[in-house]
Amino acid sequence: MTHSTQAAHGHMQDHEAHVLAVEADLEYWRTKRLEPRVLQLHRRGVVTLYDLLRAAAHISAPPIAASSAEHDIEGRIRALEDALDDYIRGIGLASIDPPEHPSVIEDTRKERGDYDDFFRIAKPHHDGTLDERIARLEHELREYQRLLQVLMHALLEKGVVTAEQIERQRAFLAGRGAWNGARIVARAWVDPAFKQALLTRGREAVRELHIPPGRLGKLGVAENTATLHNVVVCTLCSCYPHDLLGDPPWWYRDDSFKESVVRDPRGTLAHRFDLPLPESVEVRVHDSTSDVRWMVLPRRPAGTEGWSEEELARLVTIDALVGAAEALSPASIARTER
Amino acid sequence: MTAPMATHRFHVGDRVQVKRTNPAGNPRTPAYVRGKSGIVTALHGSIDNPLDHRGIYPPLCSVLFPVRDVFGGISRDTLSVDLHEDWLAPAGA
Repeated sequence: MTHSTQAAHGHMQDHEAHVLAVEADLEYWRTKRLEPRVLQLHRRGVVTLYDLLRAAAHISAPPIAASSAEHDIEGRIRALEDALDDYIRGIGLASIDPPEHPSVIEDTRKERGDYDDFFRIAKPHHDGTLDERIARLEHELREYQRLLQVLMHALLEKGVVTAEQIERQRAFLAGRGAWNGARIVARAWVDPAFKQALLTRGREAVRELHIPPGRLGKLGVAENTATLHNVVVCTLCSCYPHDLLGDPPWWYRDDSFKESVVRDPRGTLAHRFDLPLPESVEVRVHDSTSDVRWMVLPRRPAGTEGWSEEELARLVTIDALVGAAEALSPASIARTER
Repeated sequence: MTAPMATHRFHVGDRVQVKRTNPAGNPRTPAYVRGKSGIVTALHGSIDNPLDHRGIYPPLCSVLFPVRDVFGGISRDTLSVDLHEDWLAPAGA
């Protein structure tokens, strides 16, 4: 991600929170994306478990990183976060649908156990000291990565996907992301006609920014005003305009977030996201479905008169795109860049 | 992507009640709004969503519910949920 729209990493404040985030994300991607895909491919005879065994012979086991000796805790956590990003990108590449075996999202949901606990893939317990948890994550990530590499090898070997398709997918995945959302917001702040088009026509409007509009349902844009603050959730799964904005914040998939934000939107924003809102502001939760996927158009921060779109876009975080934060203030961005 | 608005049964401002059950409808209708009443705030037409639906579902509306009607309490915050029209019935004022 060349254009990260998350606030710049300062010094890592809370190791525990970072490790918890890696644990949650890692298990989500394994049990909801990669392994259901493996099982589905096996069931359909596209890439069987035996194909994977054969492919495994060609993939050497990844070296055991000497990270524990080389790095302090913070370095190890950063290495885990980078490896997790690689893993997630790799799953994106392994999820190309071959034309003769199109998968229906509904099938994937069934496979993931979204409808039926019986089908859910078990997640390990992550407990112990911080050091033990980090060591376990390092070990698990190596194993998960290896399965992914074996799967990629088998997909290519069996001609399910071509190297060219993978390269195209890689370029596509690299080009999208939260930066698109930030650019859309910045344009809407400076160009009222664009904002109007965005609010009424959704994704059709983004073509003018040379952002591919994607095809995942309709894009809903909820505009924050002086009296209305919007926040987005998908209580049933994690619907989000992925194709346009990349991945939502990791906690967007967290059940405790979904549960609390619909019951107590104002309290959730105040306590979980440190965003207390005055009583004069209505908080409105948009429960996204796969038909209309919502994003929030945050308010333009004061003190940004005359800023360029590029500068404005740097104020828009992925949290702001779902309404868990306001756009950054000019003062806060000056602090993180100093 | 979106069919003509003329196919909508409801209008913005209509008060509607969500059915408790609708076996033929989209199963992914949040349980917490079933049986609850709200106000239609937007019409989205019939959305072609071949990746997610088997067939074309009826037109979709955004319906606004007060949090206190759904979960109790005194909050004046609101929940906006997108619902297919076959899930909705007119509700008295």
